[in-house]
Amino acid sequence: MDFNLSKEEILIQKMARDYAEQAILPVADQIEKDNRVPDDIMAGLAELDLFGMTVPEEFGGAGAGYVPYVLAMEQIARVSSGPAMIISAHNLGLGALVNFGTDEQKAKFVPQAAKGEHIASFAFTEPGTGSDPKQLTTSAVRGGDHFVLNGTKRFITNASYKGPLVLFAIEAESGQPTAFVVEKHCPGYSVSKPWSKLGWHGGDLVDIYLKDVQVPVENVLGKIGDGYPILQYGIAFGKIGMNSVALGTTLAAFELAVKYAKEKTHRGQPIAKFQAIQMKVAEIAGIYESSRWLAYRLGFLANNTKNYREFAKEAALAKWVIARNAQEATRISMDVHGSYGLMEDYEITRIYRDAAMGPQVEGVIHMQQVILAGDILR
Amino acid sequence: MNIVVAMKEIPDIQQIRIRNRKPVTDDVPRTLGNIDKNALEAAVQIKEKTDSQVIVVGVGSSEVEDTFKEALAAGGDEARLVVWDGELESSQSAQLLAALITKIDSVGLILFGEGSGDNYSSQVGSRVAQILGLPQVGYVNRIEIEGSTARVTRSLEDCEQDLEVALPAVIMVSSDINTARIPSVTQILKAGKKPKEVLAANELGVAIPAAQVETISNLAPEMERRQISVKTISDLVKALADEGFGGGR
Ligand SMILES: Cc1cc2nc3c(=O)[nH]c(=O)nc-3n(C[C@H](O)[C@H](O)[C@H](O)COP(=O)(O)OP(=O)(O)OC[C@H]3O[C@@H](n4cnc5c(N)ncnc54)[C@H](O)[C@@H]3O)c2cc1C
Repeated sequence: MDFNLSKEEILIQKMARDYAEQAILPVADQIEKDNRVPDDIMAGLAELDLFGMTVPEEFGGAGAGYVPYVLAMEQIARVSSGPAMIISAHNLGLGALVNFGTDEQKAKFVPQAAKGEHIASFAFTEPGTGSDPKQLTTSAVRGGDHFVLNGTKRFITNASYKGPLVLFAIEAESGQPTAFVVEKHCPGYSVSKPWSKLGWHGGDLVDIYLKDVQVPVENVLGKIGDGYPILQYGIAFGKIGMNSVALGTTLAAFELAVKYAKEKTHRGQPIAKFQAIQMKVAEIAGIYESSRWLAYRLGFLANNTKNYREFAKEAALAKWVIARNAQEATRISMDVHGSYGLMEDYEITRIYRDAAMGPQVEGVIHMQQVILAGDILR
Repeated sequence: MNIVVAMKEIPDIQQIRIRNRKPVTDDVPRTLGNIDKNALEAAVQIKEKTDSQVIVVGVGSSEVEDTFKEALAAGGDEARLVVWDGELESSQSAQLLAALITKIDSVGLILFGEGSGDNYSSQVGSRVAQILGLPQVGYVNRIEIEGSTARVTRSLEDCEQDLEVALPAVIMVSSDINTARIPSVTQILKAGKKPKEVLAANELGVAIPAAQVETISNLAPEMERRQISVKTISDLVKALADEGFGGGR
């Protein structure tokens, strides 16, 4: 068992950390206020190949695999979760295309997205459900060489950006969930104004309205009526990114606690000298380490698994632990900060809000535990 | 032409801890000095304007090949390295680097950072120039190549000098010459596949001079808190003045 990172992995981690500190940190407050990632940051992330990390080279990606992806995402989310949320959802949509697309579909949709010129999305959630495919209502009705899509998708990341969208609808003839590749902003496609979220500011989140959207038959991803495996894949693989975001939040919570403990003084000595503070710092350190190895390992498994069912179980476990850990770590870090931690001038407020997001997205914590328990007690 | 950039493998300064005033460098990952990265960036920018190749050279530990992946990711085309386990003083490093550089054809420019990221003794560039019999310019924050000469700006304490130097020449750059670019994922992954030659010191065919400088101790400066308490602003001003601060009173 080798827990060492390779030199390349260390350099990718450092690259992401350097970019986050040099380019994103100076605009982090602006991202919080505007709830938008500036275009030059999107371009900078693209230039570093951060939109195509997991895409094989033959489709224009970097072919780095999921471990470097986790390492880089952690470092970006440490400074600002918005850009990391964008990359995560993009990677989810793109991953589904790479895994289930025909050669023609891959050639058409993947290369530009891998270069970050297009931003991908994955749309499952609807106003009626975010966890249960049986309750999908978006419809797809065949009309000659195309399908006509109608419905509303809720809380879809990156849906304002131009690029491919992997969308799930109930295909009328089979009555089953089916995945379609929709080109965002095609005729009949419109989006709501961005949701104003508690955390992860900057990450693009809107509802999608589909009104008689025509999608050519060749844009069916996988088989008609057979959307489940793609959904299952997406729900599991999407967690790699979400976990990395929560891990970055946990790392920031840890670093902020250490920094504050050393800087804040009482009676001439830093509060780090108090045992109560020392124990809090030790506690966050332990939480971070446990999250870290789960998140890195999930990246490793993603590179090596062919068994999506097995992987889904691992992803569910990692997801609930890491999301909960992020909340716990930020809460303790907040305690170290005292009242100052409640003030927006202090970075811990952003981290605290960001940590609240993980447990509720990409399948709420309960759903992860249901998946996991279902497997254990099978 | 070939542009040679000499870079020093150093422990990652940010990860060094001080124990009993001594730096603890065991298990600290290796990296390259920051100003050396500016020198590399300067080389890559020249390469982008002229028809040249960037060859990075260095002397380092058994991990040096791994360490230099960072330089190859950031734009070096090729690496020539020497493995040397143990301490090296400037005269020895210079001898090894000069021997390495002599083996490279059509060298037009040899770039150094103005000082290494760890010791900052600022000697190696000048020593290499001396050994190779080449002109040298230090503290350079601008390089323009015009045919067989380089026009450079040298930033001195109270003036800037423009100089013209015939190539080949040794130029030592300061950190304000540029902002080193951050390599992309693809560049990092391809770095390991670029050509490199790793030699043992005895394969260079030069005699390494014996060390002439002995390090007797290497201690972090001691910082003492004076714990002076004051009750009024004027007491504070006076206390600061007594310590030699606050001259503008
Ligand atoms: C920032 C953000 C980004 C998002 N991006 C996307 C995206 O790109 N694409 C996309 O499709 N969706 C996206 N979503 C939606 C998100 O994935 C869903 O909202 C989430 O899965 C939860 O669905 P829900 O809100 O409908 O909750 P519900 O499924 O209604 O769950 C509500 C509560 O009911 C309980 N519950 C529900 N069902 C069960 C059950 N069977 N057993 C036990 N308990 C249960 C759970 O405890 C849960 O807390 C995003 C959401 C956010 C906030």
